[in-house]
Amino acid sequence: MTRYVLGRLGSVVLILLAVCLFTYLIFFKLSPDPAVMICGKTCTPDRINSIRDVLGLNQPILTQFWEFLRGIFAGRQYGSVHCPAPCLGYSFQTNESVWSMITARLPVSITVAVGAAVLWLLAGVIGGLVSAVKQGTWWDRTAMALALGGVSIPNYVLALLLQYVLVVKLQVLPFPSAVPFADNPVLWFESYLMPWVVLAVGYACLYARLTRSNVIDTLSENYFRTARAKGLSGSLIMRRHALRPALTPITTIFGMDFAGLLGGALITETVFGLNGIGKMAADSIAKNDQPVIMAVTLLAAFFVVIGNVVVDLLYTALDPRVRVVSS
Amino acid sequence: MSDLFIVDDLTVTFPTSRGPVEVVKNLSFTVGRDDTLGIVGESGSGKSMTALAVLGLLPRGAQTSGSVRLDGTELLGKSERDLRAVRGNAISMVFQDPLSSLNPYYTVGLQISEMYQTHQGGSRRAAKQVAIEALERVGIPDPERRVDHYPHQFSGGQRQRVMIAMALCCSPSLLIADEPTTALDVTVQAQILELLAELQSTTGTGMIFITHDLAVISSIAQRVLVMREGDPVEYGTAEQVFSDPQHEYTRMLLDAVPRIDDEVPA
Ligand SMILES: Nc1ncnc2c1ncn2[C@@H]1O[C@H](COP(=O)(O)OP(=O)(O)OP(=O)(O)O)[C@@H](O)[C@H]1O
Ligand SMILES: [Mg+2]
Repeated sequence: MTRYVLGRLGSVVLILLAVCLFTYLIFFKLSPDPAVMICGKTCTPDRINSIRDVLGLNQPILTQFWEFLRGIFAGRQYGSVHCPAPCLGYSFQTNESVWSMITARLPVSITVAVGAAVLWLLAGVIGGLVSAVKQGTWWDRTAMALALGGVSIPNYVLALLLQYVLVVKLQVLPFPSAVPFADNPVLWFESYLMPWVVLAVGYACLYARLTRSNVIDTLSENYFRTARAKGLSGSLIMRRHALRPALTPITTIFGMDFAGLLGGALITETVFGLNGIGKMAADSIAKNDQPVIMAVTLLAAFFVVIGNVVVDLLYTALDPRVRVVSS
Repeated sequence: MSDLFIVDDLTVTFPTSRGPVEVVKNLSFTVGRDDTLGIVGESGSGKSMTALAVLGLLPRGAQTSGSVRLDGTELLGKSERDLRAVRGNAISMVFQDPLSSLNPYYTVGLQISEMYQTHQGGSRRAAKQVAIEALERVGIPDPERRVDHYPHQFSGGQRQRVMIAMALCCSPSLLIADEPTTALDVTVQAQILELLAELQSTTGTGMIFITHDLAVISSIAQRVLVMREGDPVEYGTAEQVFSDPQHEYTRMLLDAVPRIDDEVPA
C-alpha cells in the first residue's frame, strides 16, 4: 500500500512538471513579448532590453524555465528585487507578488467551492434517491424534468436572474462581496448564498440524475434481491445493499468536480465580482498578465492532479474489488 | 405426518400492455420434510417466478392467487413485515449466479452474519462465529481467514458454497435452490450437488431444486414437477417421471439428457 501511494505521488510530481513546462512554453513563447507590454507606450529599445535582462528573457528558454521552477522552491532574484520562495513572479499589471495574490484569493474560491459542494450534494443525492425510490411517480417525473432543465441553464443567466430578482427587485440579499466570516457571519452567509446556489444548481441536477440511475440500477442487482430474500430489515437493505453500491461511484465524480472548482469558479466569481482565483484567472487572461496566468493554470492543475490521487486512494478504500490485496 | 410445504393452485399474473399474462398457472405440489422436489422446465417456463412468489419477492406489479403453506401457515397475502421473518429464516434461497448474488462491497462473513443477526439476534462476534462455522460446514478451507474475504476473492464454486452456507445459517425448514449449478462448470456442478445432498440429509431441510436439466434432478430429487410455459405438465415421484413419463414434453426433455447447450427445443 505504501509503495502504491509513493508510486502515485511520484507520478503526480512528473505530471505537474509536465504541466508546468507545457504552460511555460505556451505562455512565454507564443504570446507577445512581456517586456514590450511592461514597458508601456513611452518606450525605448534600451529600456526594453533592460527589462528583458531583469526578467531573464534573454536567456535560453530552458534556463528560464529552470529559474522559474527554482523560484518556486528556493526563491529568486529579479535584478535588485528578491522574490522569496515560493516565488511565482510579479504581476505585470500591478507588480503584486503572484503568490500573495493567490493566498489572498484562495479562501474566497474555497468558500465558494465548499458551500456549493455541500448544497449540490445534499440536493442532488437526496433528490435522486427519492426519485429512485418513487420511480415513475409524479414526484419522480417532475424532479427529473427540472433536473434536465437545470443542467442546461447557463451559470451566468441564472446568476443575473437571481441578482435581478433577489438583490435589485426584492432586496432580500446584499450584492455579493467577499466578506470574511469573522467580520460578520450573517452578511458572509448572505453574500455567498447566491454564488453557492448558482454554482450548485447545475451540479445538483447532474448528481440527482446520476444518483437516481445508480440507485435504480442497484435495485435490480442480484445482490439486492439476495438481500431481500435474506429477510433483512428495510433500512439495512437500503443502507448496505442499495446506497453503498450506488453512491460509491459518485464519490469519484464528486472528488474530480470539487477539485476542479478549487482552481476557481471563473464565471460565477466574475459575475458576482468575487475576488477569487476564478476572477483572477479571467482578469489575467484579459490583460495577458503572464505570471498570473501561469500561476492560476498551475494551481488548477495542482488541484486536479491531487484530487485525482485522493479519489483513487478513496476508491481503493471504498471498493474492495480495486483494493490492492496484500498477501 | 403432514407435509412441510404445500402449494395449491398457485397462479402468478403479470399485467402487460397486451393484457394480463399468466406466467405460472394453477400449480400444485408438496414438499415433505427432508424431501427434495425437483422443478424442471425450459427457460421461461416460470420456475423462478414460482420460487419468488413463495417468498413474496416477485417484481412489482405481479399478482398471485392460490395458497402457499409452510407447516400449515399461509404465506400468500402475508404482510411484508411478516414475510421478512420467514425469508432467510424458515425458507431460504440460493440463486443461480453466485458472483452477482453476493454484494461485492462486503465480506462474506458480514453477509452471512447480518442475516443471522437479523433473525436470531445476538452479538456481532457470535454472528461472526456462526459465519465461520457455516463456511466450514460447506467445505471452505481456512474459514477463520476466509470469513473476512470479499466475494471476488473466491472461485465460482466457492462462491456458491458461500451462498449455501448463508442460506443454511438460520437452519431453515425449506431451501429453494434456483439453478444453483447452472453458472458453474461441470466438475464443480457435481461437487455442489453432492454438498447440497449431504447437507440436506444431515440437517433434514426440505428442498426445492430448480433446474432445466433433468439429468441433475435424477440424482437428487424424490419428486419431480415438470413445467412448460407456466403450466404444470407432469408431477410425480422421480421414478414415475423418469421410467414412465406420461407427457410428450417430458419425454422430449428426457431425450435431451446428455444435453446439448445450443439446441433449444422449438
Ligand atoms: N416483469 C415481468 N413482466 C412480465 N412478464 C415477466 C416478467 N418477468 C418475467 N416474466 C415472464 O415470466 C416467464 C417466466 O419467467 P421465469 O423467470 O420464471 O422463467 P424460468 O423458468 O425461471 O426460466 P430460466 O430457466 O431462464 O431461469 C417468462 O416468460 C418471462 O418472460
Ligand atoms: Mg429462472
